[in-house]
Amino acid sequence: MKRGAFWSWLWVGLGIAYFAIPLIATLEFSLKAERGRYSLAAYRTVLSDPQFASTFSFSAGIAILTILFSLLLIVPTVYWVHLRLPQIRPAMEFVAFLPFVLPAIVLVFGLIRIYSRPPFALTNYVWSTNLLLVAAYMGLALPYMYRSVDTGMRAIDVRTLTEAAQSLGAGWPTIVGRVIFPNLRTALLSGTFLTFAIVLGEYTIASFLARPMFGPYLANMVRNKAYEPAALSIISFALTWAMMGGLQWVTHRTPGSTQVTTGPR
Amino acid sequence: MAFLEIDQLHKQFGDLPAVSGFDVDVEQGEFLSLLGPSGCGKTTALRMIAGFERPTSGTIHLNGRDITNQPPNRRHIGMVFQSYALFPNMTVADNVGFGLKLKGMTPADARRRAGELLELIQLPDKGGSYPYQLSGGQQQRVALARALAIEPQVLLLDEPLSALDAKIRVELRAEIRRIQQQLHITTLYVTHDQEEAMSLSDRVVVMNKGFIEQVGPPFEIYNYPRTAFVAHFVGQLNVMPVRVVDAAAGRVALGEQTIILEPPLAANGQAVTLAVRPEELELGAAEGHNNLRGLVESVNFLGSIVRVRVAVDGATLSADLFNERLLTLPKAGEAVTINFPAHAAWVLEEQG
Repeated sequence: MKRGAFWSWLWVGLGIAYFAIPLIATLEFSLKAERGRYSLAAYRTVLSDPQFASTFSFSAGIAILTILFSLLLIVPTVYWVHLRLPQIRPAMEFVAFLPFVLPAIVLVFGLIRIYSRPPFALTNYVWSTNLLLVAAYMGLALPYMYRSVDTGMRAIDVRTLTEAAQSLGAGWPTIVGRVIFPNLRTALLSGTFLTFAIVLGEYTIASFLARPMFGPYLANMVRNKAYEPAALSIISFALTWAMMGGLQWVTHRTPGSTQVTTGPR
Repeated sequence: MAFLEIDQLHKQFGDLPAVSGFDVDVEQGEFLSLLGPSGCGKTTALRMIAGFERPTSGTIHLNGRDITNQPPNRRHIGMVFQSYALFPNMTVADNVGFGLKLKGMTPADARRRAGELLELIQLPDKGGSYPYQLSGGQQQRVALARALAIEPQVLLLDEPLSALDAKIRVELRAEIRRIQQQLHITTLYVTHDQEEAMSLSDRVVVMNKGFIEQVGPPFEIYNYPRTAFVAHFVGQLNVMPVRVVDAAAGRVALGEQTIILEPPLAANGQAVTLAVRPEELELGAAEGHNNLRGLVESVNFLGSIVRVRVAVDGATLSADLFNERLLTLPKAGEAVTINFPAHAAWVLEEQG
């Protein structure tokens, strides 16, 4: 028993070290901008750079749009597949898996080739380029979004809940808005969070579509500066954790959604 | 005109007929069970009445109006599911009040009415709980209250007790019947459990392979099964392969032994199957009864009943005896005589 505990702790320790050491090293390095002492100089430089704020907020905006459109597209689709077309689920899984096999560079070339010329010519305007960017990110986020929505739907026996609501007199808007969506909240938030993280760090598509995103800004910083990229990494890491914390907080605030069991217990 | 009229309902899934010629009239306030093995079409029939499946042909009339193609949310039919299907994101009171608010009731009125219903199902203090905090039996009570809240014209229950353990099942069964009679609500109940169907229903519809085998009160279904399927599916049954010796006199032969039945019978010389319920058999010989000699195969003590299995000329018959303190039980291998009156046995029709 004691022997087993020792080995368990050893593995846990190794796991923690594997993730923690690079992080601590980065943190330590980011504090060394001034010779001979620790300081927040690199952080001051980063935070005072107007490009940081503008690229970060632009990326965040694109991420939110991506999440919004993804949810509008995926939730009703997956709902309908669960309810009426369960036999096409394997096909859906396959489609949702495609972005994993398709390199971003191939995706962005394909998009530019097709949508930058008539009849679409989306790259002619800034707004339509942004639209293309959102569409591309919807593709990238598809595996995560699809998976989380699909898991969420599977956890709540969508079909019976729908029928129960119908028999009580509910129409489709009520069913989706008051029964399906609220019970998917936890699942949706995890997909949403992953999408946010992906869009924030994405480099390839953003730079090929030449939009002022956070990913290219970060890459550019790495090429030209020494300490600031490390500080930036720490900042984005902190933001990520803050978002995770927010996620936890939101999901735990609603007692009913923390444990979704409808089946026999 | 009956309150709920179901006329020649037919449902086809691809090439497979799930329900064929389903034809039943249900009176207001009646409790009707659909009983049958899994895959017999009973749930499909119920789902067509609820509006979740569209019949391939046939019509459904509720209180004079044709609801065959009406969407489920406009039928005024309440439904209780095997898996309870409570909304996990809502409290018990909100679950019960869900349908009421949709009907346009104010939140205050809905809350008050939900309170009344929780009183009815004897969970008055659970309004603020979430479904996951309740036991299975409690969840199903709430589901019942939720379905009743909208004052449906018909209540449908799809194997509501199958997910519960035996003791709760019997308790809730009585509860369902009490509430049904108190509210005088027309109820259709799907089950594969014959005891449930027998104990709850005014009438039972026995189904097999999509067809209705027999409709009638429990007593009639059990004692006068019209088909071999009903006889086998409902209760225990002894069957004997016999040969008609004298059709006019009602005499048949089981191996070397003779049995007298109530005539008329099929033609002389024909092989038929004879059926008799285990509780009609008695140990020992009796004047005027059919007496059969055999060897005891086994004796099972089941508490209130003792089941004695006797091998008689090519058939094994079970005799169910009521337990009593003075009973002397035969032993396996012992030669015994068993008897039953002529009216207790009947000829089974060929199973199609």
